[in-house]
Amino acid sequence: MNKLIELRIDQPLWYKLRQHLFPGDGDEHGAVIVAGLAETSRGVRLLAREVFLAKDGIDYVPGTRGYRALTAKFVAEVSGYCAREKLCYLAVHCHGGRDEVSFSADDIASHERGYPALLDITCGSPVGALVFAENAVAGDIWTLSGRFPLNYMTIIGSNISRLYPSPQSRSRFSDPMYDRHSRIFGDAGQEIFSSLKVGIIGLGGGGSLINEWLSRLGVGHIVAIDFDRVDLTNLPRIVGASQMNAMAILTKQPIPWLQKLGQSLATYKVHVARRVAKQANPSIRYDAIVGNLVDEPTAKLLVDTDFLFLAADSMQSRLVFNALVYQYLIPGIQIGAKVPVDKQTKQVGYIFTATRPVFPNANGGCLLCHELIPSGKLQEEALGEKERRAQRYVEDHDIAQPSVITLNVKSAGQAINDFMMMFTGLYKSDVRIHHQMEFVRER
Amino acid sequence: MTPEVEQAITQIKEAFPNHPVDVEPEGQGGAYITVNNVQIGEQYMPSTSWIGFLITFQYPHADVYPHFIDGGIRRVNGGLINGNGFSAPSNWQNRSAIQISRRSNRLNPAIDTAATKLAKVISWLKTQ
Repeated sequence: MNKLIELRIDQPLWYKLRQHLFPGDGDEHGAVIVAGLAETSRGVRLLAREVFLAKDGIDYVPGTRGYRALTAKFVAEVSGYCAREKLCYLAVHCHGGRDEVSFSADDIASHERGYPALLDITCGSPVGALVFAENAVAGDIWTLSGRFPLNYMTIIGSNISRLYPSPQSRSRFSDPMYDRHSRIFGDAGQEIFSSLKVGIIGLGGGGSLINEWLSRLGVGHIVAIDFDRVDLTNLPRIVGASQMNAMAILTKQPIPWLQKLGQSLATYKVHVARRVAKQANPSIRYDAIVGNLVDEPTAKLLVDTDFLFLAADSMQSRLVFNALVYQYLIPGIQIGAKVPVDKQTKQVGYIFTATRPVFPNANGGCLLCHELIPSGKLQEEALGEKERRAQRYVEDHDIAQPSVITLNVKSAGQAINDFMMMFTGLYKSDVRIHHQMEFVRER
Repeated sequence: MTPEVEQAITQIKEAFPNHPVDVEPEGQGGAYITVNNVQIGEQYMPSTSWIGFLITFQYPHADVYPHFIDGGIRRVNGGLINGNGFSAPSNWQNRSAIQISRRSNRLNPAIDTAATKLAKVISWLKTQ
């Protein structure tokens, strides 16, 4: 098991736990977080799924060795649930104080008495304890391969924040290139951007804008996924794409085999995006993935990201993006623009742009729940071209949709502003970040 | 095949116990299914047919449609079956077929299974 251990929890679940631990009475309270597990080269993420609150005097009672303890019945019920559901068991209690917290000697002794046996009960799923102060958390995580401290907890909401065992020292170096940024976010905010790993799905018109802006913002690591090459018709929209990238000298020829040759030699969109990102920020770490998000190995490249942007058109990519948000507790934003044109009259209808944040909690903007992933479209996308033609579902796939860079700018700009505010804590705590549609012909 | 597709096939076999079910995996995790000897209504000649459909790898989030029946089926008066959800001629796994397009506009993956969809298609066929 890797040593960097993070607990991720969505904001509503955290509020429920915080309210229970700190009701204002100054006393100690207990609970259990049950969590999933995602282990990658970047570290281990414990993904909070549920919180079981221990009722004072019933489930959380005066201890024989320490001040308070969870009852054996409560522990047995919740650990049994963890064993059945293959989840991690994390016992929680609170101490006084605010920005710093650690376990007491009694706490540590009780872990050493109880957790080896609890690891057997959960069939090897990690177990452990967390102790909270109002603005701090420490953890003692037991696994089959050893015992590790929790590095930090990430709370995913309109502001994405972290709690640590004690206040973190910040680097004293501030890059003069980001002077204007630092005047908004502080050096600490700029340091947050440089520590982030962000996924971009789709590097077309909208995705290429997001790519450049994230790079200029100083994001440290981008994973860009797209299977497509630059086409002549992309040039008015894809940032950084050139005639050469589209092999225009060949694809503009009226000879089909030359066009085909040109298309096969055109540059992959992710490679254009990587060049743009490196120009904006030479120290950025960049993974340019030529692939389809629907393929499991490609999707798995995103499970340890901190944020996702979906800028691809297909319903299949929406489905996988949505699953990544909820399964791995990674917030994300889907962007898009639509120019409806009446098939008969050829009249342009209500042009709109959409920015849809998705948070990993109930009412968090789930694309499936909002009927934004139609089951019929999914079915059609899964068919081969021959089958689609045979079943007469060729229209939407063969007719290119209208698109203009300025429409992409509208949705991508909002998305990047949301991202920026969330990670630097600039949104007010009661802000509600929800799906936004803008009808651009309305003035 | 994905576990969800395998479960869908099990449910179809349970829901249509007297009908041989042919299954051919399609390579991405889905399967081509043919349910045989299905009573589709006395208004058709013959009144039984096989019904074929593809369950894609994205099931249960993806709809299961269209369905196909034997391309040789006619109305009892000899008329062709066409229009209103039917389209012919079509092809199902290299067989002559009539396509039946019944899309589920508000699919709920928790309750709308491939088996319930097949039952709905059969009952719709019987009313046409």
